[in-house]
Amino acid sequence: MDINLWSVIKLLVALGAIIALLIANSVVMVWLERKVAGFVQRRPGPYAVGPQGMLQTIADTVKLLSKQIVIPGSSDRFLFLLGPVLCMFPMFIMFLAIPYGPWLTGLEINLGLLLILAFSGLESLAVLVGGWGSNNKYSLIGAARTVSQSVAYEIPLLLAILALAFMTGTLNLTVITEAQTGWFWHWNIFRQPLAFLIFIITCFGETNRAPFDLPEGESELTGGYHTEYSGMGFALFFMAEYTSMMLVSFLAAVLFLGGSSGPIGNGVWWTFLKMGAFMTFMMWVRWTFPRVRFDQLLNINWKWLMPLGLLNLWLTAMAIKVF
Amino acid sequence: MTSWPSWPRPGKRVCEMSGLINLINKLSDLALPPLGQDIMAYLAFAVYVALIVGGGLTAVLARNLVRAMVGLVITFLGVAGMYLLLASPFLAFMQLLIYVGAISILILFAILLVKNTSSGEEAYRPGLPQAGLALVAAAGVAAIFGPVIALNEDLAAPPELPVETPLAELGQDLLNFYVVPFELISIVLLVAMAGGVLLAWDKRYRGKE
Repeated sequence: MDINLWSVIKLLVALGAIIALLIANSVVMVWLERKVAGFVQRRPGPYAVGPQGMLQTIADTVKLLSKQIVIPGSSDRFLFLLGPVLCMFPMFIMFLAIPYGPWLTGLEINLGLLLILAFSGLESLAVLVGGWGSNNKYSLIGAARTVSQSVAYEIPLLLAILALAFMTGTLNLTVITEAQTGWFWHWNIFRQPLAFLIFIITCFGETNRAPFDLPEGESELTGGYHTEYSGMGFALFFMAEYTSMMLVSFLAAVLFLGGSSGPIGNGVWWTFLKMGAFMTFMMWVRWTFPRVRFDQLLNINWKWLMPLGLLNLWLTAMAIKVF
Repeated sequence: MTSWPSWPRPGKRVCEMSGLINLINKLSDLALPPLGQDIMAYLAFAVYVALIVGGGLTAVLARNLVRAMVGLVITFLGVAGMYLLLASPFLAFMQLLIYVGAISILILFAILLVKNTSSGEEAYRPGLPQAGLALVAAAGVAAIFGPVIALNEDLAAPPELPVETPLAELGQDLLNFYVVPFELISIVLLVAMAGGVLLAWDKRYRGKE
């Protein structure tokens, strides 16, 4: 690839836009999450600061920014500080590869899907490093749970996505999206319903969201891996959670829900609309289902999702061979 | 990259857009001169070498197992960068996906069961005999691979610019010409797994007695 001025400018602009998007996403989605929680539990949710409590998250951000960063005396100082930073940093690279529209991509790359999968592994590493560095039983248990959970749930996720790669014969996200243009029955959700089901379930496992939020487990682990974090350290972990939610929502929109093609007027807004809908769905699930037990969590993965993923892969390969 | 294939569809604002496209094409022509690209490649190479060597030294010298593991992860990241420089992004991402995302996490998982305070055997500074043995081991590797690298005439020739292999070609080569080595690697994994089962089996059997 030649390094020319345009590609450098494009990359820098994309990075700036992505940082703005991530911050805006966290602010809006934390507010929406509280509103959804309030709606599900028949209470108003935040309503005091601003219209409908819209400014509540901004007030919280100011509070978190001005808080003192407490580093426990017995912790491993270097690893303790490395955790939250390592959690947030790879996100920027992953968002570069997502095709928001047919021509709107930060980094045009043939292996976009692989890039996202490769860098998503760093997140569980960050949780592990932070949780171990805290030198706290709860943090350690939370970190250990993250490992067995994310390593296990990565396999069905890969199997589900591999079926899509089989169908389109590429790992380029833009091409996978383009293959779904047309009416909505061209979307991969209707061609690969089983893969979509596996994808949804593994999404909750990979993003540590309820009902699979065992690494945090407020009622048993007092916050899990981020027990010892205060101020910006906690804020970064919190932001990373909402960012990874947005990432899997974008992936769902791009891989399964047709990306930027919609019923009326194809365009970038459809990608964002689908992303928002999927995130709201994740919140709805969180406030509807109770947390599963750890053995249940791993049983679902190894006894159901893995065989189903392999079956789906086999069916896809057979269908491609026959038709 | 002189033309822009799928820039916004022509419509009402096509006249305003054409000025923008001209600007983009002009900017695309402003490529970095070859010397500048060479300098950037060497800079990237230096950064990756620093990552690999620094991470490796951390992994060897750290007195805390988890810190040593973080050093190993940094080395993996540097190796992934080297693959990128060799124009094989697929290998680079696979390195990240498998070594950083899976193997290092599994090793860390084993370490997590070790006490946090660095009070174990690894906390003591190794004595002189141990350091001497380590040096001999390092020198042995250098003695085996050094002459091979120095005497290899292919490596003495000026390096060509690496070319990116298409993924489909890579897959076909792996499953046609290189199929036996490819399958042999899985036998290594099978042996490791069997060894693990054997070790665990022995422990369980003794526990019952």
